[in-house]
Amino acid sequence: MAPDRELKKGNAELLILALLEDQARHGYEIGKLIAERSEGVLRFHVASLYPLLYRLERRGWIRGEWEPAGGRRRRHYRLTQTGRKILAEQRARWRAFSGAVNRIVEAGAARRSALDSNMEAQHA
Amino acid sequence: MPDWKKIVREKLGTLPLSNGRRDEVIEELAQQLESAYEEALGKGASEQEAMRRSLEQFKDWEKLRSEVFHSVEGARLPVWEQNGFFAPRRWPVWIALALTLSLLLAPAFRQALAILPVPGTDPTAWGSRIFSEKALHRIAQSVDQQKYARALAFVALHSPKEDDERAVRAGEKAIALDPRLTWIAAKICHATYSYPGYDSHPWIERLKAWDPQNGFPYLLEADANAHWWEPPWTKSSATPGGLGAALAAEPRWRIPMEKAFAAPRLDFYEAEHFALDRQVLREQGFDRPDILIAGMWSHPMPDFIAMNFYVDFQLNDVGEKAEKSGHADDALAAYQSVARFGERLENPSSYNLQLASAKYRMDAYKKMAPLLRREGRTQQSADIEASLASLQDPAKRHPYLLSYDVGDRSGRIVQLSGLFLYFLFGVTAAWLIALALLRWKPSLSAALNRMASVLCLAPVFLLLSSLALFLGYYPYARHIEQYASLQELQQGFLPFLMGVYGFPALDAFTEVYLMFWPSVWCALVALVGACSLWLMRRLARTGQSDAA
Repeated sequence: MAPDRELKKGNAELLILALLEDQARHGYEIGKLIAERSEGVLRFHVASLYPLLYRLERRGWIRGEWEPAGGRRRRHYRLTQTGRKILAEQRARWRAFSGAVNRIVEAGAARRSALDSNMEAQHA
Repeated sequence: MPDWKKIVREKLGTLPLSNGRRDEVIEELAQQLESAYEEALGKGASEQEAMRRSLEQFKDWEKLRSEVFHSVEGARLPVWEQNGFFAPRRWPVWIALALTLSLLLAPAFRQALAILPVPGTDPTAWGSRIFSEKALHRIAQSVDQQKYARALAFVALHSPKEDDERAVRAGEKAIALDPRLTWIAAKICHATYSYPGYDSHPWIERLKAWDPQNGFPYLLEADANAHWWEPPWTKSSATPGGLGAALAAEPRWRIPMEKAFAAPRLDFYEAEHFALDRQVLREQGFDRPDILIAGMWSHPMPDFIAMNFYVDFQLNDVGEKAEKSGHADDALAAYQSVARFGERLENPSSYNLQLASAKYRMDAYKKMAPLLRREGRTQQSADIEASLASLQDPAKRHPYLLSYDVGDRSGRIVQLSGLFLYFLFGVTAAWLIALALLRWKPSLSAALNRMASVLCLAPVFLLLSSLALFLGYYPYARHIEQYASLQELQQGFLPFLMGVYGFPALDAFTEVYLMFWPSVWCALVALVGACSLWLMRRLARTGQSDAA
């Protein structure tokens, strides 16, 4: 199921910051990684990715630098100190949000599962 | 291998990024395309298919340009760098503007614009402004003295009450130049009833001498001799029928009324007035049916209340008394005088005259028919009853009122289109000024650039509202010389004009101009409201982004 457009838009910054946490990456790699790690659920339009990278760079959250890679130079992006701080804040917010949603959604599923088990036991 | 940098450079066109960022962006986007291309080839796609897949990543290059600029510079792409369909660098918006301007070449469009209710163009007040003293002097210098006489007559007919003196002087001069214009004396004496120290009788005598067969000057004379709305006459109105009886007892009122009712003709000079106005407007280059129609509303009319008094006197005092005293022929003569007066009053271009005409005839016929029957004149009685039945048919009363709804609807469409047109004209003018300033100095103001970018559609909407106005008005667009009579003008144009001004009564004309500013005000309030909402939403978004 494709994720909601608004949800994806709101969390696009978090995804990029998270991918740049461990190492510097170039735009093509970021796009591929989002698709791969989300197992195809999240797919970034390249036309939106680059303007977003430039915006984050302008805000000073990431820094782009030209570096040699595979016989050519590529623009790699890495997190700045501000970016790390923002990432930590956004990650905490996301965890709180997704945790709350999970607790509601999974609690419902757990009750349903327990009911089903009871009914099966009664039939047996 | 395609030259990706060249492709990206061409697609992005001029992208005014600072500090060489443009080349970096081009290189980076080219690498994205190249990587996607190589990946597609690696998966076995043909070169053509790989290229297609690669380029498919960026479908809307103009949007990408705009977003890249906004992301890098933190501001909207300068309006003169935008390549959108309605951007000022492209033709469509200028074509829309040119088409709007070209509509001005169409006389129908110009006429539609001219009749829109805008403050300062009130056609009722406009008549007196057409000829300033300077303009009159210029015409006086010309060789065409007939034209000068007509201009003076126009001034005499259309000067407002406070300009009575000017009207009288102009009237004197006009008649001296062209005695065929003596009929304007009817307006002058009619307009100057309350003019201090002015005696209208010489004008009435002049009119009587010039047109002795006409009953109108006698009606004017009766009105001039007895101002029934002023003391001492108002004392008589305390008792029912008292005023009518008091007037009838006054020979200075009764005798001219008798002559008016007995006169072979009853001409209020409406046709002459209409022809003069039409010619003068045409000569002065004003092709305005609304002014022609409004000009006729100041046409002198007889005093309906005074006529009613005299009709009552004839029917109830003279006629009934004669009947009771056995003088049937005298009674019939009194009734007949009212009926004939009603016939002469018949005027298809005036609703009031038509109503009065029908009422007088019906009142007279209702008394004549039984009297004739009693007298054994059955055939004459039957004829009178047939005439009475015909008068009671409402379809024959006032034909142009039947087309009122259609004209009223069209008028309202034109009025609404006109409101949009004026508003969009203002917006387009603001847009053009902003464009000129940004052309001169592209970095002048981010807000100005944003405004110019947002308002790029204004000329297109201006064209649409102009077309709506033009098409809405087109069925009513006629040169004033094409209207042969006031009746034709009233039937063809009055319902539409009333729709434009959106009011039901002619006497509320002055209120029409109150409608324009409230409409503009409402539009302004709506605009400010929309802008405020937009700004608040934008500020809220910025706040969220910054917090993130």
